[in-house]
Amino acid sequence: MKTEYQKAWFFVLPVLFLVAFNALVPIMTVVNYSVQETFGNNVFFWQGLDWFEQILRSDRFQAALGRQFLFTFLILIIEVPLGIIIALSMPRKGFWVPVCLVTMALPMLIPWNVVGSMWNIFTLPKIGLLGYFLNDVLGINYDMTQQPISAWVTIIVMDVWHWTSLVVLLSYAGLVSIPDAYYQAAKIDGASPWKVFRYIQLPKMKTVLTIAILLRFMDSFNIYTEPFVLTGGGPGNSTTLLSIDLVKIALGQFDLGPAAAMSLIYFAITLLVSWLFYTLMTKDDAQ
Amino acid sequence: MNRLLCLVALIPGAAFAQGWGNVANQEEARFSWTAPLWPSFWMAWTPVTFALFCGIFGAMAVIATLEITRYRDGVERRGVFGLTTTLGDRLFITLLGTAYIFLAWLGIMGQPLWWPLGIAIAWGLFVFWKV
Repeated sequence: MKTEYQKAWFFVLPVLFLVAFNALVPIMTVVNYSVQETFGNNVFFWQGLDWFEQILRSDRFQAALGRQFLFTFLILIIEVPLGIIIALSMPRKGFWVPVCLVTMALPMLIPWNVVGSMWNIFTLPKIGLLGYFLNDVLGINYDMTQQPISAWVTIIVMDVWHWTSLVVLLSYAGLVSIPDAYYQAAKIDGASPWKVFRYIQLPKMKTVLTIAILLRFMDSFNIYTEPFVLTGGGPGNSTTLLSIDLVKIALGQFDLGPAAAMSLIYFAITLLVSWLFYTLMTKDDAQ
Repeated sequence: MNRLLCLVALIPGAAFAQGWGNVANQEEARFSWTAPLWPSFWMAWTPVTFALFCGIFGAMAVIATLEITRYRDGVERRGVFGLTTTLGDRLFITLLGTAYIFLAWLGIMGQPLWWPLGIAIAWGLFVFWKV
């Protein structure tokens, strides 16, 4: 087999230089930090791979990693089916199409830290609209500043609110690209709505869904701002996700060595999952 | 008396033999793989990490050169995992796998890392041979 026109890679070179400056140089610096100890003032002492060993064996890191995987898993399992359902029920033509699209796009236009503070004010138990409604009208004991379960529900609902639109818009783009002939053929064969979804719509949405899931995985696995603004990692450590913990170590404690080691482990996980996912999803196309 | 004089004469001799002449000299700075490479520069390079990146970029350069010239020119194959890979893909799989082999060994067994080095080399050979 032979892929076409490898020399096209030369046209990517300008981007490569740009990426070299904003990604590669920092990563190389992080690698250098991860094997050394510093007390500031640009003076470094060799430490070897001790930080990696220490981080990998620390309960704190393992707990944060577990919370991070749980968060990402819950996000994906809610947002992807919900996004597909919303995309399927959106109109394909007519007056309501732009209305739906703009409404869907609105949450994604709001900056992440603003989303965090909006939801913080919205869900505070005494003064927030939702918090007040749940506690004093419905009588549900809800306090995201005190109860780990409430805090988890809040950050997940917030992320679903913020990012389901992305899955919706991408799925919708996949759906409208299906020619009418497919539906007509399905109608002639008397296919049920489920069969139409399973054998026409889902295969046609596969490429965009791959991108959507990949983006949602990476974004939710690296999420920092929203939960930090909303709960600050609390109550206790219950919503301290990996990135929040990393920033605490790097900037709060100024332990640059362990923080660098931790971010490299973090990077390796993101890289592996993204690569695995992308490879498995696109494997069938190559055959 | 003569014996005593001889003994006294021995003292500076012994001191000299133990390196008296070197006391005032500064120790010569010898090359160390783990010392800072350019102390005034901000990226905190050491010769070890520098060599690591030279190795990675060197491997990438070799493979890129092979891929864009007529010797390979984007030749792909399907390996044992059912993946369609070029040389570059195999290098990526090798490096990523190596990182995980070392991290797993560090987390479970700890240092030193000679065993995972062997496993990683074996993994690399396997990937370039079969995957």
